Amino acid sequence: MTDQELERRLYQAVDHAVPDQLQSILSRCEERKGTVIPMKENTKQKKRSFAKLAAAACLALLLVGGGAAGVLNMRANAVASIISLDVNPSIQLKVNNKEKVLSATPLNSEAEEILTDLPLEGTDLNVAVNAIVGSLLRHGYLDSISSAILISVEDQDQDRAVRLEESLTSEVGTALQNAQSGASVLSQTLTQDTQLETFAKENNLSVGKASLIQSALRLNSALTLEDLSALSVEELSQMVNAGAPGLPVGRDAAASAALTYMGLSESEVRKLEVDAELDEWKPCYEVEVETAAGEYECAVDAYTGEVLWGDKPAASGGANSAGAPNTGSGTNTGSGANSGTGSGSGASSGDIGAEKAKSIAYADAGVSASDVVNVKVERDWDDGRWEYEIEFWSGSTEYDYEISGTDGTILKRESESHAVNASSVISAQAARDAALAHAGLSASDVWELEVDEELDDDRPHYDVEFKSGNMDYEYEIDAVSGSVLHYEKERD
Amino acid sequence: MWIMLGALAAGAPTPSELEELLLGVAAGDREALSGFYARTRTAVYGLALSYLRSGHDAEDVTQDTYLRVWDSAPAYRPQGKPMAWLLTIARNLSLMRLRSRDKVVDLPQEDWSLLAAEGPEVTAEDRQVLSAALFALTDQERRVVLLHAVSGMKHREIAQLLELPLATVLSKYRRALKKLRDLLEGDEMR
Repeated sequence: MTDQELERRLYQAVDHAVPDQLQSILSRCEERKGTVIPMKENTKQKKRSFAKLAAAACLALLLVGGGAAGVLNMRANAVASIISLDVNPSIQLKVNNKEKVLSATPLNSEAEEILTDLPLEGTDLNVAVNAIVGSLLRHGYLDSISSAILISVEDQDQDRAVRLEESLTSEVGTALQNAQSGASVLSQTLTQDTQLETFAKENNLSVGKASLIQSALRLNSALTLEDLSALSVEELSQMVNAGAPGLPVGRDAAASAALTYMGLSESEVRKLEVDAELDEWKPCYEVEVETAAGEYECAVDAYTGEVLWGDKPAASGGANSAGAPNTGSGTNTGSGANSGTGSGSGASSGDIGAEKAKSIAYADAGVSASDVVNVKVERDWDDGRWEYEIEFWSGSTEYDYEISGTDGTILKRESESHAVNASSVISAQAARDAALAHAGLSASDVWELEVDEELDDDRPHYDVEFKSGNMDYEYEIDAVSGSVLHYEKERD
Repeated sequence: MWIMLGALAAGAPTPSELEELLLGVAAGDREALSGFYARTRTAVYGLALSYLRSGHDAEDVTQDTYLRVWDSAPAYRPQGKPMAWLLTIARNLSLMRLRSRDKVVDLPQEDWSLLAAEGPEVTAEDRQVLSAALFALTDQERRVVLLHAVSGMKHREIAQLLELPLATVLSKYRRALKKLRDLLEGDEMR
């Protein structure tokens, strides 16, 4: 039976077994109370001209002048649309059917500051929105690529809501461009929903943010309103997209975890930016830190707060010259004896060097340098000191050591016997070449190439994975003969 | 000959087709939900089964998944990954279900046979395959093989979902298929 046949039989068996629950599902679906049009995100735009910036300033001046003169041109006081603008300050604007502002309400204390000295009542909506964005920028909001503004338009007339949403998104996008802000614009339209409005009012939220919070609560009842209110609209919209699996640790905790990992204090940081990526497969916060010595990046797991990967500043003084990040570790792999010395082969003050570290490991394992193969050496900065991670084979035994770079102490030793003898196993490089040759590609044609050892499998092999064109390739290469055991090619 | 992955390949719904249906669901269209359900229910049920190993629980989670789809479709932002979105919801619900019971309830093999026999389309061969997949494989092997063959996920996506190295996923997949093949071919020989 081929793999394909097995897969087909499995699929078919489950397909036959899945009960038809459609009627039961439909009977449990509640009627929509209000319609929310899917959120749109405008891509971040960077370049703008000073002329446009000047135009924005003029608009703000006009606005103040108009307000002072008390020019009101309203024919009706009936509220036609409610527009909320959320960054962290949340502001609600009520407008009539002529798109004149009837009221501008700050929904939290940050918003009060934003609206101070802005006479918005009676002005055109687009002018008011421009003025609010200007004030947000002056107060330091929306100044980074990681921030976002959510525009929500609530209106019974969906055509008008969509039209308003589009024109405001464009207006705000231009204003942000003019101010050279990298912030993104999120937008949504909602039909009027009394229940949602009450919920928003009771909790001092804009209707737009309240709608996102309600979506999150529906997805995960373990979340609380208080916790969710503290999140930015960008975090909320991303986590709702990802099914709201839990409560993210938040930007502050992510920044703090990153600094701890990097061994930096806040006083050393010139610039720090945290970007939420909660709708990625591995939800995380990306933290960028700039110090006098360089720039460093790190990703923090959004739900556990653990650092997933990151740069670290090189050791300051002593062991290694302080300087650009990523100078600290080196990897070298080879199949021949004594190959793979790593980048830290030369000893410096306070660092015993890779050769010495290897000799300590060999002596402890009771092997000589001429007996070992598949040597891999990595030097990492860990717990405030250099450590050498040394892996090698001798006969059919695989060794794994950690040696202190400071004094040569053995921090960890592990050994494992395998069914195969290292000398009969082809190198990772040879396995890679076998896969490429089979695919009819050269190394320069492919990217995201990964080779993993699976030497303890029933049939010892290497897993080789790479991309080329718009295809993904996966290979299993026999670790002894170099033959292709299995391969798959699928559209990326 | 290249092997094109995915048992779903022949009738697999395209992301744009599913996103169009989701737009309908977001607008409150029950027919759109019916269409979405028809095209994806096997993948969702397969995922739930891979976690819960119980037909009854998998049914409940499948049903709850589509209720969540109904509730949260308005918040779905089209970005070409409707299956990833759907399966993330199903996985979260499966994990919640797992946490809500002390440990995975091991259904006796006969119970599954009875349950599977309820469906009019289930053949003797189906029962044999399901029984092998649910009872002869380890938890990880079962998840890897069902997520790939039934839910249509790529090995790389499974590695991310289960937080395992890709090499481990591939190796477990090979081992699971070998076990199933040995078992099923052994049965056929008898």
